[in-house]
Amino acid sequence: MKPGVAEPPWTARHAEMGSNRLERLASVLVDYSTRIRAGDLVCIDTGPSAAPLVREIWRRVLEAGGHPHLRLDVDGAPELLLHEGSDEQMAWVSPLRRAESERADVRIAIEADVNTRANSRVDPERQAHAERAREPLRRVHFARVSAGDLRYVVTLYPTQAAAQDADMSLTEYEDFVFRAGLLDHDDPRSEWEALGRAYARLAAWLDERKEIRVVGDGTDLTLSVEGRTWVPCDGHENFPDGEVFTGPIETKVDGTIRFTYPSGYAGRRVSGVELEFRGGEVVRAEADEGAAFLREMLALDGGARRAGEFSFGLNEAVTEFTGQTLFDEKLGGTVHLALGASYPESGGRVRSALHWDLVCDLRNDSEVFADGELVYRNGRFLDGLL
Amino acid sequence: MTDPRVERLAGLLADYSLALREGQVLRIDSLDAGSPLVLALYGVALRAGALPYTNVSLSGLGETLLHHGSDEQLTYLSPIQWQEIEHLDALVTIWSETNTRALSRADPTRHAAYIAAQRKLSNRRWERISSGEMSWCGTLYPTNAHAQEAEMSLAEYEDFVFAACHVHEDDPAAHWQAVSAELRGRAAELGGVRELRIVGPDTDLRVGVEGRSWLAADGRYNMPDGEVFTSPIETETEGEIRYTFPAVYHGREVEDVRLRFEAGRVVRAEAARGDDYLQSLLEMDAGARVLGEVAFGLNYEIDRFTRNILFDEKIGGTMHLALGSGFPQTGGQNNSGLHWDMICDLRRDGEIYADGELIWKDGRFLAEPALEVVESGVHG
Repeated sequence: MKPGVAEPPWTARHAEMGSNRLERLASVLVDYSTRIRAGDLVCIDTGPSAAPLVREIWRRVLEAGGHPHLRLDVDGAPELLLHEGSDEQMAWVSPLRRAESERADVRIAIEADVNTRANSRVDPERQAHAERAREPLRRVHFARVSAGDLRYVVTLYPTQAAAQDADMSLTEYEDFVFRAGLLDHDDPRSEWEALGRAYARLAAWLDERKEIRVVGDGTDLTLSVEGRTWVPCDGHENFPDGEVFTGPIETKVDGTIRFTYPSGYAGRRVSGVELEFRGGEVVRAEADEGAAFLREMLALDGGARRAGEFSFGLNEAVTEFTGQTLFDEKLGGTVHLALGASYPESGGRVRSALHWDLVCDLRNDSEVFADGELVYRNGRFLDGLL
Repeated sequence: MTDPRVERLAGLLADYSLALREGQVLRIDSLDAGSPLVLALYGVALRAGALPYTNVSLSGLGETLLHHGSDEQLTYLSPIQWQEIEHLDALVTIWSETNTRALSRADPTRHAAYIAAQRKLSNRRWERISSGEMSWCGTLYPTNAHAQEAEMSLAEYEDFVFAACHVHEDDPAAHWQAVSAELRGRAAELGGVRELRIVGPDTDLRVGVEGRSWLAADGRYNMPDGEVFTSPIETETEGEIRYTFPAVYHGREVEDVRLRFEAGRVVRAEAARGDDYLQSLLEMDAGARVLGEVAFGLNYEIDRFTRNILFDEKIGGTMHLALGSGFPQTGGQNNSGLHWDMICDLRRDGEIYADGELIWKDGRFLAEPALEVVESGVHG
């Protein structure tokens, strides 16, 4: 730039806006979601494209007195392992991964895919093998979370790949992501606290119900939830957040559910999924796209055919489907059901290497009944339940 | 598409430098900018049946720690790092900076505290490397930052780096095996020498090396490589030397260093630029005025100074004589916090005599070494 020529004002402003939003996100993740304290060993788990957010989190963790530790997946390495690794190599857990999972006090996972379909052509059987290999680490993770030894949050840094899945430009997608996190509000933290109180009231009310029936286009599913705990999600383990979930009784899920939206899972896409449950187990599974992968995942292990989670998506700032589960499952006016592992805090007992969330849109011509009573219509709870 | 030279470098590191075997745990350390080589090496290691994993960081994080960290955070060593180190069979360090001067303005005291803390970990790593429990190789993936230091375009610098590693050719391992045989032969011959005399412009230095063993740096620990080195007798360096290239220590340059030695110690030192820094480093401790290393740079693909010691110390036709700590494995006994490699260009008007006999002129040994196979066991 020549001396005396002022920078165009929009350049400076744009840069400032961008870094402010990232600073805000970093601060919410560190101060609110994971409540980092002096001395915490904090593992930041992501890919290189999330570098701008990593730098903000790194600084904020230091300011909070924590010890940041970065684990960065090299773009392309997981695919190489899937393509070229032997069974033994795929099942192997590196000493770094092991040490991180056993030692970290806090884990901040940032999804930052550069290609959401990179595994589309991988043999589904090999992917199943890779999923199973992750199970021991997942078990350590949830055991440490339950024991109060580990706090964690999963978030997403907007990349071109995710924007492409959402049929958006990167700028539009960034706006969407930050809006979904309520980061456009002056004090996002108090917004989330207020939502948390509302979700907690809804969860307490749902705790008293025995049975949920969901009726919609191609869907009529009844789940028993008696004695199970509904968990309000207000930005502590996912960010953004906005759901209330439970683990249904393992043997009491019956009927059919059709998942409106395609699902991205393990680097590939599956769409038009329809499942029929009997006695808690999937007895029929169909998909327009990715049927072979769906069947392989259902056969992964004993728990993969069961519904480990049932949940209401409640985030009103997520108004459209974008292909990323982290957002889609929070979409206000949807429910989702996860095949595979339960979260122990809900009382669910499904154990599996799989946890695959599938989202069902209830915003049109849909109803939910609790113990026979209509409580939800076209995407909203009735009577001030929320 | 991947540069085929990057693929060949990855293959060379795995097959030749580390001799990576099935089932061995390999960690690949790099900054994000080195990802193409990280990925290529990861693939080669998988195909070799090893258990590779990557440990990649982002540039700028160290700087943030130095600026914002408390003393406790600065010197913290995580249990993750401690737990991990014991499991490694092989380690590759890929230097790949995006800004070689990022720490220029960091507080030197805080930087020193950080380095001192990290040294505890690297000491443990060196223990395992020198006992043969694990192998290690350090290499470089070319970036604009390194090219900028070398005053080249990135494309020119890539050519330079890959030629220095001989991965511009089809079978670099064969090249390095030949180099290894030659360097070992040279080291064996030098092992019989009592005194070297180095003569060049403003240089006439006698270095006693009797009884010390010379080692061949043949691409196991560094890629590129190409030197033979030992630690001189601590009390027997006499005379004067003028270093042609700037002497760089921790990123700071000292130009036109001239040293006078008596009975092994520097008794006079001057520099055209950075003299204060030179004097302060000589005062670091008692061992800082004594030579810890004398070495011949023998990689003739490296034909210019690029401000990176990985390459500079191997410039074909140079010698480097380092002030400070010596190498115990060669018989060296000098202890110091300093190890400062300074490079002397002997490609023009340079002569070296071994026990009075001329063995080197204008940057080349006069005779080929006898190609005896010497099993030194050093690289075992």
